[in-house]
Order: sequence, then C-alpha cells, then structure tokens
Amino acid sequence: MSFYEVVFIVRPDVATNQVEQISTKFADLIKDKDGKVIKTEQWGLKSLAYRVKKHRKGYYVMLGIEASGSVVNEVERQMRLSDDIIRFLSIRVNAMTDEPSVQMAPPRRRNDRGDRDGNAPKRPTSSRPNANPATAPAAAE
Amino acid sequence: MTDTQTTATAETTTESTNTKGSRDNNAGNRLIGKPFFRRKKNCPFSGPRSSDIDYKDVRTLSRFVSSYGKMLPSHITGVCSSKQRELATAVKRARHLALLPYSSRS
Repeated sequence: MSFYEVVFIVRPDVATNQVEQISTKFADLIKDKDGKVIKTEQWGLKSLAYRVKKHRKGYYVMLGIEASGSVVNEVERQMRLSDDIIRFLSIRVNAMTDEPSVQMAPPRRRNDRGDRDGNAPKRPTSSRPNANPATAPAAAE
Repeated sequence: MTDTQTTATAETTTESTNTKGSRDNNAGNRLIGKPFFRRKKNCPFSGPRSSDIDYKDVRTLSRFVSSYGKMLPSHITGVCSSKQRELATAVKRARHLALLPYSSRS
C-alpha cells in the first residue's frame, strides 16, 4: 500500500454534477479494492495550456488515495476506456496530508504579494464578506 | 584615456549582468581588482525555508520556464542540480496535464 495522486481531466461539455458522479465512481472503485480515498479535490473548469482531444477546457479532479499498485492499474485502465476523461496522470507520493493543494487556493491578485520573508500577505478581515455569517447579521441590526 | 575606457566597459557589463534588479549600491567598491561583479545566486528550492517542488504549483513552475515554454537553464535561475532534476520532472508532469504548455508562441 502506498500513496498515489490521481489527477484526471473530464471533458468540458459534461454537466457539473456529472463530474462529481465520475469522481465518486472512481472513489467507489478504489474502495471496493481495499483502497482508501484520503482526499478528493475538484479544481473546477480550467482552460488547458494546449488542445487535448480537440478540447480547450476541462474539469480537473484530483484523488489522493492509499492503495496498492494493482488498484492504480485498474483505475488507469478504466480511465483509458472512459470517453469522458480526456487526460489522466497518476503518480506515487511519499506522504499525503489532508491539506488542500495549491490548485485549491483562491487566485491571487496582482498586488497580493507577501513580504520579503515569504510570509503570507496581511489582508484586512473586513474585506472578506460573510467570513463569519453568525456575527454578520447581528452587526447589521 | 585607455583606463577610463576600460572602467566604462566594466560598468556596462555589471549593469547587463544585474538584470534581476539587485540592490547593489556599493558595487563599485567590490569591483576593485575584478573584471565585473556577479551576485551569488542561491538555489530557490534548497535551504531551510524553501518550498517543495510540486507539479500542481503552476505559478512557481512558470517562473522557471521561458516565455516559449521551454525550461530555463539552471545557470540562469540558480537552481542547484539535484533540484533542477526534480524541477524537470515536475514541469513534464504539469505539461502532461496541460497545466503548462509544451511550447507557446508568445
């Protein structure tokens, strides 16, 4: 059993809930074969850097799994057969954390840069709307 | 006459090598006895506070790729050789997932 990251790209002309269906289908397949799905990340509809099977955009999904190599082979075989998946990449990683990957981070704006030591930029808490929905209506009253 | 000419050329070469905007106010002092001053580059991935190389981190990877999409040589970016090899696999993975282009025109 080792950790794997399986990233795949779903055709852009499928419905959004169908993307989740596909990812749950593969998650179930992994669970059936005694694998563990540690995290599922939907990166959303992203534009591709080049055309893949005539598509310029695609839904990116990443599964972080703990399984044996034969499970990954089976997942890759299913992905090759699937018409909805236009590209996939599965790699073994040494460790896996629950933290979301960089792709899940919100897009950074132009002057949204940290200081010289590489710390995160200080942002005013008021700029985030509905950061704490419990207190927001109370303040309005 | 020839002396002033050589110093002038030395200064122009320093300016061209410091294209990364290094804040060197006393570059002239360090230039004594040397043809030109070159700032020591440090590997951005080795060291205690450096980040990991990740094929998903397109923002970081794109800093080590030319505008045509080719990987920059390590003598320009200052990446050490072991990290350059890691970086190469990360860029290739990102290219496979269409996160980075294999080649781009601009």
